[in-house]
Amino acid sequence: MTDPKDDMLDDLFAEARALSPQPSDALVARVLADARPPERAITSAQTGIFTRLLDVIGGWPAAGGLVAATLAGVWIGVAPPASVEDFTATLLGDQVAVGFFDTDIAFDMETLADG
Amino acid sequence: MIAAVAGDGLLSPANCTLGVTALAKQQMNTMPDPTAGVSDAALLVAFARGDAQAARDLTARLLPRVLAQATRMLTNQAEAEDVAQEAMIRLWKIAPDWQQGHAQVSTWLYRVVANLCTDRLRKRRGSVSLDQIAEPEDSTPNAATRIQTQTRLRALSDALAQLPERQAEAVALRHLEGLSNPEIAQIMDISVRSVESLTARGKRALVDILAGRKAELGYEDD
Repeated sequence: MTDPKDDMLDDLFAEARALSPQPSDALVARVLADARPPERAITSAQTGIFTRLLDVIGGWPAAGGLVAATLAGVWIGVAPPASVEDFTATLLGDQVAVGFFDTDIAFDMETLADG
Repeated sequence: MIAAVAGDGLLSPANCTLGVTALAKQQMNTMPDPTAGVSDAALLVAFARGDAQAARDLTARLLPRVLAQATRMLTNQAEAEDVAQEAMIRLWKIAPDWQQGHAQVSTWLYRVVANLCTDRLRKRRGSVSLDQIAEPEDSTPNAATRIQTQTRLRALSDALAQLPERQAEAVALRHLEGLSNPEIAQIMDISVRSVESLTARGKRALVDILAGRKAELGYEDD
């Protein structure tokens, strides 16, 4: 497709090309005011692994709920309500004892010490 | 032929003189540019790492061209300044993701400014044209010449607003910025042949749009 020739249009283009406004002080100030370090660079530099984990689980409200649920679980384990005791008795037997340490260890250690 | 365009919201002679901040003025006029050998992309990466001086260097280097491109397309100082500011904001935002060697900052900015300007031109369609607004009183010498120039350039800008956006961008980059077809192809991410087609069709459409205004714009009708 050929470029159409038109004296007026070519003249208008030339007039427009001759425009070379220089930025005013105010515009430069506006542009520099916008030129803050990128937010993402700041946040990625300042956030540690804990903050990122917090973001993964849903922030502080979710973390608060998680802590409350954990404490409630521990408390039920230490001092179970009667209803829970009845339930476990029905399910597992009348008495359930859970030992975290082998009671024979102390004896074995004494045996070893004696040679 | 033209030195400046006067009037409310348009270019005034005062605004066509140097008027940048003292720091930028120093960098542009009196002091040798210490970043002369540093690419725009390198400065952008430095800015992304928190180098405030890089932002000042980039502003001094790029803002005049960005503002000029916007002014030539829009012929309205306030709109051109808004576009220039918005283009620079986008530059600051993309800085952390900028990949050196991937694209030239100047190419990217040409595209951003062209897009922002065509957005403005699209909104201008259907709005009140400048020639429908009463001209402000101007008693300075050569006032008539300046008003005539102002009217012509606004007519060109309004005619650009009538074109499809891709045509307007291609015509502006070719005839207002004086870029080559391969450069425009790179900016618009199209083939050189497409650029030739867009500019030819766009220019032909401008001729048709402006044909009825030759006498009004100070040209003898053929």
